[in-house]
Amino acid sequence: MKPCNANRTCWNCPAAMLKGNIDFRACGQAKEKKKQLSESSQVLIECSRRKDLGQFAPTITFEQCPEWELNEEYNTYMLKNMRVMILGLDGYLGWTLALKLGKLGFKVSGIDNYWRRDCVMEKGAHTVVPITRMTDRLRAAKEVLGLDINFRKLDILDRAKLKEFLDEVKPEAIVHYAECPSAPYSMVDAAHAVKVQENNVLGTLGLLWVMKETVPESCLIKLGTMGEYGAPLTGRPIFEGIFPANAVLKWNDREWSLGGELTPRDPVSFYHVSKVQDTFNVYEACKYWWLRSYDIMQGVIYGVHTDEVAADPRLRTRLDMDEWFGTVINRFVTQSILGMPLTIYGEGEQIRGFIALDDAMQCMVRLICNPPEAGQYDVVNQVSGLIRVKDLAETVAKVSSNFGINTKIQRVENPRVEADKHPLEVVSTKLPNMLGFEPKISFEKEITEMFKVLTQPEIKARIEEKKHVIMPKTRWDGVKQESESFETYDPGTKNLEEGYKGVLHTKD
Amino acid sequence: MGRIVIIGLDGVPFGLMDDLANRGIMPNFANLREKGTFKAMESAIPEISSVSWSSIITGVNPGEHGIFGFMDLIPGTYTLSFPNFNTIKAPTFWQKDNNKHVILNVPSTYPAKPMNGFHVAGFVALDLENAVYPKEYIPKLEELNYRIDVDSEKGHQSKELFMKDLFRTLEARHITAKHLWDDMDWQTFMYVITGTDRIGHFLWDAYENKEHEFHKQFLDYFKRIDEMIGEISNKMSDDDSLIMISDHGMGLTESNVYVNAVLREHNFLELEDADRINHNHMKASTKAFALDPGRIYLNKEGKYPKGTVKKEDEEKILQELTNVFQNLEKDGKKVIKKIFRKEDVYSGPYLDDAPDLILMANKGFNLRGTLAKKELFGTDIFTGMHTQDDAFLFVKTPKSIKIPENPCVIDVVKIMNEIKGDK
Repeated sequence: MKPCNANRTCWNCPAAMLKGNIDFRACGQAKEKKKQLSESSQVLIECSRRKDLGQFAPTITFEQCPEWELNEEYNTYMLKNMRVMILGLDGYLGWTLALKLGKLGFKVSGIDNYWRRDCVMEKGAHTVVPITRMTDRLRAAKEVLGLDINFRKLDILDRAKLKEFLDEVKPEAIVHYAECPSAPYSMVDAAHAVKVQENNVLGTLGLLWVMKETVPESCLIKLGTMGEYGAPLTGRPIFEGIFPANAVLKWNDREWSLGGELTPRDPVSFYHVSKVQDTFNVYEACKYWWLRSYDIMQGVIYGVHTDEVAADPRLRTRLDMDEWFGTVINRFVTQSILGMPLTIYGEGEQIRGFIALDDAMQCMVRLICNPPEAGQYDVVNQVSGLIRVKDLAETVAKVSSNFGINTKIQRVENPRVEADKHPLEVVSTKLPNMLGFEPKISFEKEITEMFKVLTQPEIKARIEEKKHVIMPKTRWDGVKQESESFETYDPGTKNLEEGYKGVLHTKD
Repeated sequence: MGRIVIIGLDGVPFGLMDDLANRGIMPNFANLREKGTFKAMESAIPEISSVSWSSIITGVNPGEHGIFGFMDLIPGTYTLSFPNFNTIKAPTFWQKDNNKHVILNVPSTYPAKPMNGFHVAGFVALDLENAVYPKEYIPKLEELNYRIDVDSEKGHQSKELFMKDLFRTLEARHITAKHLWDDMDWQTFMYVITGTDRIGHFLWDAYENKEHEFHKQFLDYFKRIDEMIGEISNKMSDDDSLIMISDHGMGLTESNVYVNAVLREHNFLELEDADRINHNHMKASTKAFALDPGRIYLNKEGKYPKGTVKKEDEEKILQELTNVFQNLEKDGKKVIKKIFRKEDVYSGPYLDDAPDLILMANKGFNLRGTLAKKELFGTDIFTGMHTQDDAFLFVKTPKSIKIPENPCVIDVVKIMNEIKGDK
């Protein structure tokens, strides 16, 4: 099969620097540089990697260009030694991606201010998979994998320093993970809500300005969340951020096309609101300044394994189990290991999109290798499957029995304000069809891997040590109390055929 | 020793200069005309500014300087590139002697290179930063509000804004010229006004049609230029020589002719379906394709990635192409005036890079190389188009020199050399 990005051209390439819009018909040049092709003008670019070509039309394909080399494992052209900067490099995803990219030959740089470490510590929790301090992590990456990661301790809100670093590195892609990823953390109190929005919204807004000034051709790959969309009770499909061309709004016997417009967002916490605000800021910046970006509506992430983090204990990425930073599957597995029932909120019929860590990393590599055109804001729904929370609990319980653990399931009061019974139909066609993504990790496979890693004595002891941070205490109504239990039941005792099932469209 | 001043007026035909001098709109030029030689001059083939100015400043034909159009293909690819001043293969007159030169706004000289004197490149100059030598002069240019070119976007948006921008750019350029004249010590001063070409493209009809709402402004623009010519000639001493030139003429466009659409209709060219069509989307069955304006290239095997035309078939295809274009008509009018083989018009080491056929159109037919059009003919916003045979040349010199009977653009350097007494 032909590599999915073979026909992409300089229009997509971050090495292509816009030099002018020339109106050869009028022997004139437009004052404003725009990457827009019109009948009367010719866009001229210069390649930052192939200066010898002078100025030319942006029509060289990745397949034709010697700077893009075919990677057979991914069947994708990769920009030679592509400079990728990861913001939030110390995090669960940032560190894992840094190692993955480094192994693939990318030149990785990154920043972090260790805020995630501080937040988790502040809440009295810790990562159950132990991680070392950054200097040791970097040394291990060098020793074990031979990687040179250009890391700088830096707060994304420090625009001057960020600008300096971007100017120095000139990244060709920027992966933006430097946000607080927790809904409950943003609902603790006013101070936490404000801090989350300040970091996320203002951090991203500042980044956009700095990119405009330093690396306007670079591709911003920004982590959003499926939670931006909410879960519409009408069951209308969740498109990939933007309505498809044939979507129509009908009202009072009149119809309008919705094609190309942003789809509605219905965030479900102040954290999710910050992600929605980011969406609009990024969308506008692409429009105003011809930046390019992927907004990734990532499903709930889970898992511990990639080949790179498993290469040495010092290379492991963090894994949180607390109510603020633990994602649902990661929490279920730790609950199971502790012998606690798996807690599902309310009816437990929330349907969520999920993706395993390694699959998410595969998606990121593919997104980095397929930059949108300059000026284009694009959105992908990054999920590999949809599952109801209560079905998920059944799966975790089933896998736990292979490890000799007898796991129960418990329904508790929902601390959140959300629908706990709703339909969900998700469209996720871009990654599998346009970018060549194939999920490789099944729920069972990765959950099994998690049990293997998390039942190791040292890690199990760390889980035991912090078991008091598992039960949710942060309620959306502001009342400080632990959720009470409705019922506890054995897996396999409920009729799982009833209720809504998620529908995932992966074909065009 | 007398100095040489060259004033270039991009895209101004002999006929317009003559007409405006006769009508009293350009009195200074009318006065000069009496004291020198004023002739029509042949432009380059094709009559494109970059080709023509390259010939004017080097004194050689495209087969020697290597510039055949605004855009050319990167060798071995179908990617259009913009040949710039680094690409030009022959030395310019200011690179050939030890004199001090001021070169202001000469098209196709971007990026500026080190030289003895001062140089600001003209269209296409992608940024001021690389258009100026020495760079130390950039702040001064900025202080003088110097502008490389009119904003052509304005021509598409509003003729009114466009006119304002034309005048603003002209004034800034002239202030800069006067500053350089006084500030520098020079033997050659070359100063090109390019707004004349832009006004011609967007508003040629305003010149020809006295009722046109911009007719007066069109004439005012040239009146202002005439005042500038007067100012400059008054600054010259009796020893100095003045050469005025244009790179090509201008005339009314009746119809665009989409050369690639003609090639498609006659199955010389086949294209894949694509959103943003470019030469990469040609199918391997393509025998010939065109670049602006009427440059036709055979899709030769070994020369292009999808080239399939074998050497032994070349002559036959060239004949077929010639037949097609000789017979091309619109409303009973023949479109093509002449068809040249490359050997007919070019000579020199870069002959291989030249188009295989060069079409020259009859009056009013504007040849275009776009791939985006399916129809053979059409019109657009532009009312003026380049013409080949009526650029102009004016020479006023105290020296006794011979000016060719039928001058063409490559003669300008020879004339300068004669004035200087060089052979």
